[in-house]
Amino acid sequence: MAMSLEGSRKISPRQPRRSRLPRDIPRFVLLCVLALLFLAPMYWMISTSLKPEVDAIASPVQWIPARPTLENYREVLTSPDGNMLRWLWNSAFVAVVFTVLHVLLCAITAYPLARMRFRGRDTWFWVVLGSMMIPWVVTLIPTYIMMMEFNWINTYHALIWPGIAGAFGVFLLRQFFLSIPRELEEAARLDGANSWQVLWRVILPLSVPALVTLGVFSFMGSWNNFVWPLFVVTDVDMLTLPVGVATFSQRYVTEYGKLMAATTLASVPVLIAYLFAQRYLVAGLATTGLKE
Amino acid sequence: MSTALPRRRPGYGQLNDSNPLVPYLYLLPHAIFFFVFVIYPVGYGVYVSLHRWDLLSESRPFVGLEYYRALFDFSTPQAQFFWKSLLNTTFFTVISVPLLVATSLGLALLLNRPILGRAFFRAVFFLPGVLTVSVMGILWRWIFDNQIGLVNAIRTDLFGNQPIPFLTTEGLAWLPIIIGTVWWTIGFNMTLYLAALGNISRSYYEAAEIDGAGTWAKFRFITLPLLAPITLFVTVTTVLASFQLFGQTLVITNGGPSRSTQSVIQFITEEAFTNYQFSSAAAMSFVFGLAMLIFTYLQFKIMARDAKGGS
Repeated sequence: MAMSLEGSRKISPRQPRRSRLPRDIPRFVLLCVLALLFLAPMYWMISTSLKPEVDAIASPVQWIPARPTLENYREVLTSPDGNMLRWLWNSAFVAVVFTVLHVLLCAITAYPLARMRFRGRDTWFWVVLGSMMIPWVVTLIPTYIMMMEFNWINTYHALIWPGIAGAFGVFLLRQFFLSIPRELEEAARLDGANSWQVLWRVILPLSVPALVTLGVFSFMGSWNNFVWPLFVVTDVDMLTLPVGVATFSQRYVTEYGKLMAATTLASVPVLIAYLFAQRYLVAGLATTGLKE
Repeated sequence: MSTALPRRRPGYGQLNDSNPLVPYLYLLPHAIFFFVFVIYPVGYGVYVSLHRWDLLSESRPFVGLEYYRALFDFSTPQAQFFWKSLLNTTFFTVISVPLLVATSLGLALLLNRPILGRAFFRAVFFLPGVLTVSVMGILWRWIFDNQIGLVNAIRTDLFGNQPIPFLTTEGLAWLPIIIGTVWWTIGFNMTLYLAALGNISRSYYEAAEIDGAGTWAKFRFITLPLLAPITLFVTVTTVLASFQLFGQTLVITNGGPSRSTQSVIQFITEEAFTNYQFSSAAAMSFVFGLAMLIFTYLQFKIMARDAKGGS
């Protein structure tokens, strides 16, 4: 079973700490060098954001800002070309609403598919799962036209609804629900619970790891979505953060101090979220429909 | 005990669990969205691609396969740009996929055995992946800036070389795109590999050690074969993601110089949302979608193995 509780624990096996220090030193040094290389671009982003424009392009390169300033941040936050805080709010609102609705919808759908017997159950499951084979680019243009017909261009509706009926979430939760022992459900039934109560009081409380995993994925997916909001939203006040930052970069092509302040501001929320969600993100990734 | 209790027949009228409609009621909300936003758009897309869909005109005459045929008529700019962008995307995929698979496996192997700060390193390598594509793109555009970017600054500072205009030189413009993409997505694949490595039983290696196998032999004859399923999965998903190249090139080079880094999706969206040629764009997305279907099918097969195991 891919989604069993044991499965998620196997991800980081606690291996006995063996001290083979001398042999490990080259590997450790190599890892440190690689880590520095990976962090360097982000360091460069932050350090540039703290420099006045002349210092940002100074030669030789200023690794540490000689005259650190928050001027770039002030200008970005008060720029007439777009309101970063508004974009941040749009992104957060859309991502939160989408995530809650998506997880709920997937859970309610996965429940009968995992734990009830009825005609057409397996057929429907395979139809939904099979829809994952439709490349999204195929539905991009017709869905955009539908948004125009619904008058949803430049609204939150366009950013939230089209992606709500995911197949992956149904698949992930169904797999998890299957692993919950029948006895727990039967005990609740004996106490007079109906299926709705079983779902809310037995299945969902036991599925928190799977729900959180799906939630983290949905949130990150919505937050970082770029292609769809780029076209379906043109009103500067309705932009999401990734798209807003991109439009910023078209206007301030070479003012890298300001651009880096904008990208740093756009990254801070995700970096904080990442620190908190890291465990789930990594565990969820490892179980993305994979047995081994 | 009375045996004369009337047998409860399935009642369609009452809303309790004996109602055979209950499971379908659970499925209904998702099914509605599923039809409106997944099934219907596919059919609607076919309709749009077979008609001349004009934003300004009310009439949308049926034109059959005209737009599909135009894609194979190389005298039209549409056909030229479409295939050029498909070629660009293929080039990116061919270069970046082996790079992404090999480097992530390498990183995973480095981190597989316990080492001081393992959790820290894992987090660091995963970190770039949480950035949004526009942030990542702007950052790498800055690093490879023609004059004053970090790469050129280091070249001039340390070696006294002339700056190279990476972003406006055909061919070289791929460098920031590919390096940036590796930096951005490596942690994702690495995590998948780490999970798979953790599942390999130590007993294989112990047995091999008794037979006198060295590090390379153990890797070649135990690790690599046991990683074959995950490697297949990683490769297929990476190919899929690479073919959907869009944000990186849009932000870093905007498809330039002279469309040499324009991706298919960028061209399709240009055709639709800049030129308002919805029918032509729909036809292109079906042709491109068909090519993608092969890889999506493979990914689907790999995932379906698991679904079967569950039921």
